[in-house]
Amino acid sequence: MHVEFLGVSRERAGIPELEMHAATLGQLLGALLVRLPSLAEIIEDERLHPAFVANVNGDRFVRDPATPLRDDDHVLILSADAGG
Amino acid sequence: MAFGYHGCVLRIDVSCGRAERVPLDETVLRGFLGGSGLGARLLLDEGWAAGDPLAPEAPLVFAFSPLVGSPLTTSAKFAVVSKSPLTGRINDSLASSGFAVAGKGCGGDAIVVVGRAPEWSVLVIDASETAADELPTVRLEPADEYRGATCRDTEAAFRARLGPGFRVASIGPAGERMVRYATISHDGRHAGRGGSGAVLGAKRIKAIAVRGKRRVDWAQPVQLTALSRDLSKRSFGPATAKYRELGTAANLLTFNRFGALPTRNFQTGTFEGAANISPEQLSVTRAKTRESCVACTIGCEHIYATSNGSVRVEYENLFALGSLCGVTDADFVLAASRRCDELGLDTISAGGTIAFAMECVERGWLDAPWLTFGSGEALLRALDLIGGREGLGALLAEGSRRAAAVIGHDSIAIAPQVKGLEIPGYEPRALQTMALGFAVGARGADHNRSGAYEVDFSDKVDRRHVTLDAVRYAIETEDKAALMDSLILCKFLRGVFDDFYGESAIMLRAVTGWDVSAEEMRETARRIVAAKREFNLRAGWTPAEDTLPERFLNTPLPNDPAASLSRERLDALVAEYHRQRGW
Repeated sequence: MHVEFLGVSRERAGIPELEMHAATLGQLLGALLVRLPSLAEIIEDERLHPAFVANVNGDRFVRDPATPLRDDDHVLILSADAGG
Repeated sequence: MAFGYHGCVLRIDVSCGRAERVPLDETVLRGFLGGSGLGARLLLDEGWAAGDPLAPEAPLVFAFSPLVGSPLTTSAKFAVVSKSPLTGRINDSLASSGFAVAGKGCGGDAIVVVGRAPEWSVLVIDASETAADELPTVRLEPADEYRGATCRDTEAAFRARLGPGFRVASIGPAGERMVRYATISHDGRHAGRGGSGAVLGAKRIKAIAVRGKRRVDWAQPVQLTALSRDLSKRSFGPATAKYRELGTAANLLTFNRFGALPTRNFQTGTFEGAANISPEQLSVTRAKTRESCVACTIGCEHIYATSNGSVRVEYENLFALGSLCGVTDADFVLAASRRCDELGLDTISAGGTIAFAMECVERGWLDAPWLTFGSGEALLRALDLIGGREGLGALLAEGSRRAAAVIGHDSIAIAPQVKGLEIPGYEPRALQTMALGFAVGARGADHNRSGAYEVDFSDKVDRRHVTLDAVRYAIETEDKAALMDSLILCKFLRGVFDDFYGESAIMLRAVTGWDVSAEEMRETARRIVAAKREFNLRAGWTPAEDTLPERFLNTPLPNDPAASLSRERLDALVAEYHRQRGW
């Protein structure tokens, strides 16, 4: 699937986007942490820190590591605190 | 009197310079706390809800809070509360920094200003040389020579003239000319929305200068110090990283990605020039520094260099003066933002009103061919005309709702406002819990009194198809905002609290000694929301005002046809909101 970072997560990742393979959100987060250790503040134990949230295809906001993902999904990682 | 408070209001009639101390009952303080809550209660007590907000008798309240002066991070804030000349409804705007500390140091929990000075003046309140049980020295000094001066220059001039220790809140040229969305500025920040600057201008007060170091005692100073240390520590964590590292401007690319970035007067929700004006790009091309308000550990202010000096950049500036007006050139957006700061203009209402006028020109309803979407020159020209109330600026200085009434052609359907207050940078069709928050807001369309967008960016709702389940979440964010604005703590801290009401009770207990509980905090929040509604009722509010402009109803977003909000659905949400509020 395509993973895109927005805001602080992009600053941490150092890249705007990348391609990954995972069956669930938890697996994806775990793999992201291995690939980009600079995400340690954002990802812990295959979970997102509460200050961050994931979105699938611009529709669903998800947190549950068991959330199933498909290879053609577009996953966004962004700050949960969206306003200001 | 309770710890944390002085137990009185300083009430000043600038018609004659008379000042008095009006005692405040402890039940009022406990019931409304400070800031927006206390300000709303004091405004109700003044009995001017049905009056003209620009009349001499109209009260303008500067309300401090029990936490001001404490070591709790972000607590150096004050609320400016009045009837809005833009909406005719209650208006409470917050600003930060030294004015809050020095103002409370003058010996009152609030300053209420009424009357109209005989000539342009600075209102000077000085408690530095009077005993704690005496009124501070209150005097009016001539300020005619500062007419036309920018907010920044006015503040600098009065601080130099009056001497050390003074903190100054001022209006710019827009406030002098009673532009209905003029701000009151302090230290580069603004009590921005709803036109409090016009209310001060109507009193012929160019600035208020305060100096005072009167302290209040804290009930549990050791515990308060420990709480403060812990809160500061948490404020350095991931929950506030966004504000420290990119500022609120980080919203821009995110909102654009979700099709929620209002563009060309809300005609669509994505902007092709978003990357150009994003903080990610601005950081690459411009020098940037970071600043904090007094007593703040977050440091959310990102200040960018321009050819004409520096400018604070917030999401709302970039949206209102960028995508909303179709301007892709960052130099113009930053210049316009700086111009708003100088003139003392609310960027959201200024950008919203100009974008509305641009669309009216596009549709042939307004004869101003130079005022086109995408023109940075036109944007700057329009701001100067508004600040001077010259030519077309005289109409646009009235805000989009009043301008629509003059322009006709049913242009009110595309005027981006609720209750007369221009809509912030959250596309209501793409963020429908926020749409409800906008519709029911006591001061109009507002993202600071309702944080319902948080719900839209969560797994609690489907943001483009919200149901009645969303209503309780919207109420929750409104209540939480009411409490934060009354304690007062910065909303950028909201992510650090695990149990906001419980932790608020502990902080308030340490300051005041009151045996408050989380449940009492919840009740207080609801009481404050109800007080604002009570003011609006007395001002003539009817349920029909709790809605959105026709543009947003039954017309899907062109960039995202799934983002569609019907009038029937919004009406149902609003009705459910009223039901759950018990109204």
